[in-house]
Amino acid sequence: MNKMTRNKTTKKSTRPPVAKAAAKAGAPAKVRVATMWLSGCSGCHMSFLDLDERLVDLFKLIDVLFSPIVDTKVKDMPQVDVGIVEGCVNNTDQEHELKMMRDRCKILIAIGDCAINGNIPALRNQFPLKDCLARAYEQAESNRISCIPNDPVVPGLCPKARPLQEVVKVDFSIPGCPPDADMIWYALTELLAGRTPQWNEKNLRYD
Amino acid sequence: MRSETMMTTKKISLTINGKACSGEPGQTILKIARANDIYIPTLCYLEGLTAWGGCRMCIVEIEGSAKVVPSCATPAMDGSKIITNSPRLQDLRKATLELLFSERNHICPMCPYNKGDCGLQHQGYAHGITNIRYQYLYPALPVDLTAKYFGLDHSRCILCTRCVRTCDEIEGVHTLDVANRGIKNQIIVDMLKKFGESETCTLCGACVANCPTGAFFDKATAFRGPLASCRQVLTTCTECPVGCGLKVFIKEDRIVNVWGDPDSPVNRGHLCVKGRYETWAEPRERITQPMLRDKDGKLQPTTWDKALAAVRKAGKEAKKTEKAMLIAPRVTNETAQVIMALAGKIDRVGMYVAANEAALCNEPSFSADALRNLEDADAIIVIGAQPSRDNPVLGARIRIMVRKHGAKLLIFNSRKSDLDQYADVCAYAVSLEHQFWDRVAATLEGAKRPAIVYGPNAMTPIGVTVMEHLIQIFERNAGGQKPALIGLPVSSNGLALAGAGIEAIEDVGPWLDTRPLKFLHIVASDTPDGGAGIFDEKYVPALLEEIPCVVVQASYRSALTEKATVVLPTTIWCEKSGTITNLEGRQLSLRPVLPVSGEAREDAAILESVFA
Repeated sequence: MNKMTRNKTTKKSTRPPVAKAAAKAGAPAKVRVATMWLSGCSGCHMSFLDLDERLVDLFKLIDVLFSPIVDTKVKDMPQVDVGIVEGCVNNTDQEHELKMMRDRCKILIAIGDCAINGNIPALRNQFPLKDCLARAYEQAESNRISCIPNDPVVPGLCPKARPLQEVVKVDFSIPGCPPDADMIWYALTELLAGRTPQWNEKNLRYD
Repeated sequence: MRSETMMTTKKISLTINGKACSGEPGQTILKIARANDIYIPTLCYLEGLTAWGGCRMCIVEIEGSAKVVPSCATPAMDGSKIITNSPRLQDLRKATLELLFSERNHICPMCPYNKGDCGLQHQGYAHGITNIRYQYLYPALPVDLTAKYFGLDHSRCILCTRCVRTCDEIEGVHTLDVANRGIKNQIIVDMLKKFGESETCTLCGACVANCPTGAFFDKATAFRGPLASCRQVLTTCTECPVGCGLKVFIKEDRIVNVWGDPDSPVNRGHLCVKGRYETWAEPRERITQPMLRDKDGKLQPTTWDKALAAVRKAGKEAKKTEKAMLIAPRVTNETAQVIMALAGKIDRVGMYVAANEAALCNEPSFSADALRNLEDADAIIVIGAQPSRDNPVLGARIRIMVRKHGAKLLIFNSRKSDLDQYADVCAYAVSLEHQFWDRVAATLEGAKRPAIVYGPNAMTPIGVTVMEHLIQIFERNAGGQKPALIGLPVSSNGLALAGAGIEAIEDVGPWLDTRPLKFLHIVASDTPDGGAGIFDEKYVPALLEEIPCVVVQASYRSALTEKATVVLPTTIWCEKSGTITNLEGRQLSLRPVLPVSGEAREDAAILESVFA
């Protein structure tokens, strides 16, 4: 497998595992990755962590520079090769973040059903925005004070929850709610090997 | 022989994906492909229903033609060259699927039939669809949960109309149809009603079984995982004498769903509400422990040893002439053998049957090939029976014969039934006037293969009068065959039990009162009402009060078990083994589907230990 040969080259290199340093030393540069969590449940990121010991192999090929699951010290998202986005676009802030991600990555991967078709967050699309807000902030049984948040700091809810592709161009999609670790592994290793993942009955799951 | 040679000369030959195939003229491309093990994806096609050609998944290319055609609705032509898979076809199918996905809310994670039973999902996987090129519409669509056992979620519907065709062509009621145009196209119930308000829906659930997505779902099955992961056991429905084959889906020792057995010669996969739902989706209070009346007269749970000791003691105290047994006409043939072996130890054994049914059962005659004769009939006469209520699978077949195959239908019954609307002649009261019988004769004129379905009420003097008049008509009607007689009792296994020597009784009161009793053993078995039916009869509750020991052997709690001295828990249909005999005389097997619940025991085993 291609993955193995790549592993070998990284193993041979005794340089510190930083892409830049490796690149300087002539070893293949690691793929720079950022991940983002929009309107979703974080299940896709959890599924990514479910790669377990395979993460060690994966991190020989990629550097995750910016993500809700890494302890990043950078304030601003750096330029990356691959951006992986979970969740759909539900408010103005998420729309801004997603557009920023699109600007700063070469390949954008939508991961999980929310990013692809809206899934559960998009259930509200069947109702007018006004009704959704009223149900959540005015009629909800747990609310003591009935008030729809109107502070300008709070990002405004978009009229509809939108899958990523309705906001930016998406290059690849990994469906599933969440996609299981095997699906993520297959998709990422294929892409790293320079191949397009071939989906069929055996490796595809929507639920 | 002649017709056979004609058939062979008429055969057509064609190539599908380069493979030489042959078929009958008029056969569709899809049929011939399937017969030759060539896979063509389908969504709206279902074997046994009229082809619809709506989903466009089964499109194929024909060499020399620029068009693609739906193979399910296109008759194959001699010498044509068909291609079922090409990049162009793949692209078209993918686009079709993407449009389907975009049109409604196909959200797999929250679908009641998620994880693997969905035709749309399966095609999505097969075509490697990870995302779609169109905008999702997210329409606000209603969910109809007003039907008792199933729901209809329009969000999941792909408008394949398999439910509509099933409802029309298999159950024959045509409750479902399609309304509105374009994007507003939707499945409707009656004229824009809800299921709960429908006057025509029989709750047969065939629409649910034939829905390729989660649009129709069984409430008791929803969110319980794929049926494909369930263990499947074939058994027989014991709710009526038709004896439909059941395919039971089990997971973790619980029934997940019940479907008709497609290979059963009796029902060929179709079921009614009794078989599909009432057998398992109906909450009933099950008796799982023997119960004995304590000093204060309250029924208390006890052990088998104590319960049997009490029964045997009471049995010994009573003389042979003071003991009787009353059984429900649904126990297995094997139980009947045990009962007959024990009959010498007691004064009388009887099975309680519906009004006027005793005559039908006591001269047991099975109607061999009844269902085939019915499907062959060009005139169906129903006398004193209500097949659409008591034997809905048979009722559906009558409806189909009348509505789809132009059979004449004549109904002679004092009660109204939903078959009446299709009848050419429908008489609630029988007239002796010539005009009426002339009309009957005119309706039956030219009938070549008549069938008479007669139920319990055909055994009344009025029923006999009708029968005599009909016989006269058929004697005059020289061209036709003798009518096929189909005796249709209400009791599930009444005919076979009567054949085994158990007397059918319809008036339990006088039967109990023949000689005073000290010990009465009632085998209610798994009667859904727990045997409470005999309480409806006059005097019976009072007569039961007078008997010192009433043993009730039943599966469900009821007014009857509340009156019992001792209650012995028995197994239900899905725990039983043995055979029953249907109205055609077919021996049908019951197979244990689930482990026995609690301390329940089989009918025969209980009887043997009571009378040992």
